[in-house]
Amino acid sequence: VSEKKVAYLDHNATTPVRPEVVDAMLPYLREHYGNPNSVYALGQRARQAVERAREQVAALVGAADVSEIVFTSCGSEADVLAIAGAAWQASDAGKGKRNRVVSTRIEHDAVRGIVSQLRRRGFQTSELGCDADGRVAVASAEAALDDATSVLSVMHANNEVGTLQPIEELSAVCRARGVLFHTDAVQSAGKVPLKAKAWGVDLLAISGHKINAPKGVGALYVRKGVHLAQTITGHQEKNRRGGTENVASIVGLGKACELALADLPHADDLKALRDRVEAGVLAIKGSRANGHRSLRLPNCAHFSFEGLDGHQLVVALDLEGVCVSAGPACSSGASMASHVLTAMGVHESLATGSLRVSLGWGSKGADVDRLLAVLPKAVEKLRSIPAAL
Amino acid sequence: VTKRRIVAAMSGGVDSSGAAALLAEQGHEVVGVTLKLLERAETGFGCCGSPADVDDAKRVCEKLGIPHYTVDMAELFAKKVIRPFVEAYLSAQTPNPCVECNRSVKHGHLIALAEAWNCEAVATGHYARVEDGRLLKAADADKDQTYFLHGLTKKELSKALFPVGGLTKSQVREKARALGLRTADKAESQEICFVPGRDVRAFVEAHAPEGASRSGAVKDTAGKELGRHSGLAGFTVGQRKGLGVTAPEPKYVVALEAETNTVVVGSNEETMTKAIVVDAMNWIEPPPPDGRVAARIRHRHAPAMATISGLTGGGEHRLVFDEAQRAPAPGQSVVYYLGELVLGGGVIIRRGDRP
Repeated sequence: VSEKKVAYLDHNATTPVRPEVVDAMLPYLREHYGNPNSVYALGQRARQAVERAREQVAALVGAADVSEIVFTSCGSEADVLAIAGAAWQASDAGKGKRNRVVSTRIEHDAVRGIVSQLRRRGFQTSELGCDADGRVAVASAEAALDDATSVLSVMHANNEVGTLQPIEELSAVCRARGVLFHTDAVQSAGKVPLKAKAWGVDLLAISGHKINAPKGVGALYVRKGVHLAQTITGHQEKNRRGGTENVASIVGLGKACELALADLPHADDLKALRDRVEAGVLAIKGSRANGHRSLRLPNCAHFSFEGLDGHQLVVALDLEGVCVSAGPACSSGASMASHVLTAMGVHESLATGSLRVSLGWGSKGADVDRLLAVLPKAVEKLRSIPAAL
Repeated sequence: VTKRRIVAAMSGGVDSSGAAALLAEQGHEVVGVTLKLLERAETGFGCCGSPADVDDAKRVCEKLGIPHYTVDMAELFAKKVIRPFVEAYLSAQTPNPCVECNRSVKHGHLIALAEAWNCEAVATGHYARVEDGRLLKAADADKDQTYFLHGLTKKELSKALFPVGGLTKSQVREKARALGLRTADKAESQEICFVPGRDVRAFVEAHAPEGASRSGAVKDTAGKELGRHSGLAGFTVGQRKGLGVTAPEPKYVVALEAETNTVVVGSNEETMTKAIVVDAMNWIEPPPPDGRVAARIRHRHAPAMATISGLTGGGEHRLVFDEAQRAPAPGQSVVYYLGELVLGGGVIIRRGDRP
């Protein structure tokens, strides 16, 4: 496919790797190839790099201690380690009496997938709902947790509509019930401050490629004293996650965390750009914004359009050099209402006509101009297709 | 050649791959599109839109350096193609689902979508030609697919491109091979892409609103019962095999009578028909003043000279063949030609030589 210049407005899907991150990684792909678990100096060099990265990650997520960071291969693996690891551990320790897992209807597929796996293997599961803005009520968690519950998993920010959840309150509810609390912070990392220790969460997952590190690396914050069953067996990461450390990518993740933390004070710049997107898009007739108006990520906006198919809109925009997305499950061409919008009570006809615009490092006013220049016409043209059915 | 943005409908087969390749070679901005025509539960039978075919189409586009998208038209396909197909069989007709698919889906909704994407045309891998807005038979007479394209209007034809229509099948394969396309030697697709294993009867039964298998009589033309059948669906006029009757002479289906749920069989002679009644006409060109046409009554049938009579504003008319034709099947398309030119076509309603 020809490499034409595009306006990339899908940073919630993935992000470009920052040059500083590439530079930090290269020595560990070239000369410092040692195994961080080896005795000799070459190995020690790699170990130092991994531990430096652990500090950088710990700083971004707000850990109390560096040792609370476990590196994984991605955000999904971090979620699986948190949820399955907590569920299995509690089930073993409680001799099968603690076999309940609670999550929400708006979680990322990584969480939904492992929760349904656990359900098929005999665990009790339940899902909390949300309101029309995508917020989960603390009271619903209070009502859902019982003595059999091992873990509650609620994402920090939703990947589609960006709504933020009351993590600190949910965490307090869990603590009071002796339930572990996991939050999937993959989408919020680098966009809003993370305060693992201050919030009192037990587990928190992040992913490298959402914060300008490469794909294939993630991390799980595991509060000191929390024990998880292994999902990938082995002795690495202090017996918490097997597999020789992906040194270069871990270094990249560390560097990206450092950069993200330094950039957090500038989140308002993105917000201003996002607000311009929103004002421009909402000027189109028959459009509406989804997600909480204030309690949400500063970088993204989510819309529904009456009378069109979101997937077809994404193609139309791609042909004009603008990268945006319709929903997480659209690569197959099947335009389905996303589980998130369904949980929010958005009518199917609006949910299938959805569009997500997400900004990030490197986003410029010109990208937004390009989107706003082509979107109204694309919407109008798609709406003018005669109803086929 | 001025560079145009064109949608290439790609099934994952060699013909549509070749079509996309030819356009890309001419310097056009080609947008590869594979239609998802079947619901998830029905894919995986090696029919169009199955994951393996989508993958082939994607890989071909990658090779050609063009983008590829998948578009879900399963709901439209179910309503416009599959449901009428099932209903036709249930009412003792033999449908041509490809005609409706081309009209409603590939050259209907997809053209509309392409326009919305600022694409000027939709290219498919059909063997047919369009010149000056007129639909012509393919250069490769053996592969000609105009029989399935007669339902298009002039407006749709103005947006349709058939890049392989001027080539033979082997030339298309050679082209694909030369470009290293993985579909170059791929087997020919089945006639009805959505019927797994060509088992029409099983498909109709699975999709019939209420059981298709109402057993009934197999009779000869004199009305004598020769045996029983387990449901009309799947029988076609002219069919010889699978009738479940033994007779000294070979027997063929002469007619399917929906009202009495009867399969009427007879000799080969009795399938011969001098005239048919045609309706649901789509005229691409004006009807010829003298009513003389070459009529094709099934795919690959050598068009037979005939005369149109009693053409009304509504379109229903009789078609009288110069020489009797074997087994025109109600529900099948009949397409009228003047040499290479496709004049239009309609649907065979019934035999026209008996009241």
